[in-house]
Amino acid sequence: MVSIRVSNLGLVYRLRKKLTLAARDRRLPTGGRLEGKGRTQYVTALDGVNFELTAGDRLGLVGANGAGKTTLLKVLYGIYAPTSGSVEVEGRVDALFNISLGFRREATGRRNIVLRGLMNGWNMDEIEARMEDVIEFSELGDFIDLPFKTYSQGMAARLAFSVATSLDPEILLMDEWIGAGDPKFQDKARDRMSELAEKAGIIVLASHNHALLKKTCNKILELENGGVKSLHLAEEWAASA
Amino acid sequence: MMLATIESALDDIHSGLRMRRVWIALAQEDIGDQHRRTALGPLWLLINYFAFAGTFIFVIHRGDTSTGSYAAYVATGLLVWFYIMETLSQSVSLFVREEGFIKGTTLPLSVYVMRLLMQSAIRAAYALVGCIVILLLSGTALSTAWLWSALGVLLILATTPAAIILFAFLGAYFPDSQFIVSNIMRIGMFLTPVFWSYEGSGGVRHLLYYWNPFTYFLEIVRVPILTGGPPIDSLLLCGAIGLVLWTAALMVLGLFRKRVVFVI
Repeated sequence: MVSIRVSNLGLVYRLRKKLTLAARDRRLPTGGRLEGKGRTQYVTALDGVNFELTAGDRLGLVGANGAGKTTLLKVLYGIYAPTSGSVEVEGRVDALFNISLGFRREATGRRNIVLRGLMNGWNMDEIEARMEDVIEFSELGDFIDLPFKTYSQGMAARLAFSVATSLDPEILLMDEWIGAGDPKFQDKARDRMSELAEKAGIIVLASHNHALLKKTCNKILELENGGVKSLHLAEEWAASA
Repeated sequence: MMLATIESALDDIHSGLRMRRVWIALAQEDIGDQHRRTALGPLWLLINYFAFAGTFIFVIHRGDTSTGSYAAYVATGLLVWFYIMETLSQSVSLFVREEGFIKGTTLPLSVYVMRLLMQSAIRAAYALVGCIVILLLSGTALSTAWLWSALGVLLILATTPAAIILFAFLGAYFPDSQFIVSNIMRIGMFLTPVFWSYEGSGGVRHLLYYWNPFTYFLEIVRVPILTGGPPIDSLLLCGAIGLVLWTAALMVLGLFRKRVVFVI
């Protein structure tokens, strides 16, 4: 049974003043709250976040830039470890952010599918089983055996989309709804995404597209400055917004 | 606390080893990419090795009677030194280079560590071919003592991941160390008995010979081939260094593996 239980989740990290003689890097993080003065500054990226999801739930994350949507997704995925509170996740988690990460320019499309599959933790049999499906969906045809660098941007995006969405997700995390390609492919991509969304036990989707959220999600979590501003059922949220 | 730290590190390493297909495949791609579109491909690694070895054998050391054993001395020294130099220089920037992956996937850090080990080992394998050619050409007889050298190579390989982990965290937390390490490694070629031998000289050379840990990692591969006997002291010392490095590496990995994502 898939479930996500987040209780009192907090993520605070220290901004490091690097031990260097070079000019200080004055870039600031894009979100969260900045505290502390002088040498040690802390960013509170998430603070006291609570929610529970069970099979069938589709949670939409909303909030301004820097409110903590992506950070929360990355905590759920396991890239960031929470500094307080707890996250209990049951079920295999797949994430669709940064889908073109790690594609190698010199390798063929086919080889890139293998590499991506291995990084997703698939074994060779699973990769083989999905290979033809991925190639067919991407509509790359004979280009699949040419180096990735020969692809147009659209072709590259189609391949990335096809591999990334070739999943049987139990829990699916998304930072914005993804799509790719020309209008015809976009329709296909939309269908594939809807299919994925139906298959997945739980979805957490961060988006600014309110119409999409209303259509896809049954719960909406609004974040503000790393904290929870409100947690609604989607209908209530749609009515109040 | 300490146990939990080490357990966390072992977790990382364990899942890294389970994902060995990933780092083997990535390392092969890395080597391939560097030589793609060249006519000779990775053979350039071999040529580079021959160029260095040839320079030392024929230019630095011309006219000496013991040229045969000097050739063997340089050949083995360069093999190990290039491996050490390349691995450590690459280690310091490892996590910075892998920033995209570290911030975008949940791959264990040891995947990147092993990917680098694998790359270095593939490169060294080309140099190893050159090394064996020079050894045979210079009249060094193949003997069972070479098995001691093989043991030395294994010890170096087993120590490498620990060294990579330590240098990778060093580079992530103190970016300046990238330049310090690359400088030291460049000078280190001259400060380590790669192409000069101790043979009774005193002064600074004496100190460099005895207090330089790299000396012993060179010797465990070199001495059996040159003298036919096992370098027991060097082997023990390198084993001890390896254990210390691994202990430190496990602590550092356990403590910082979940934090490094905020630093790079």
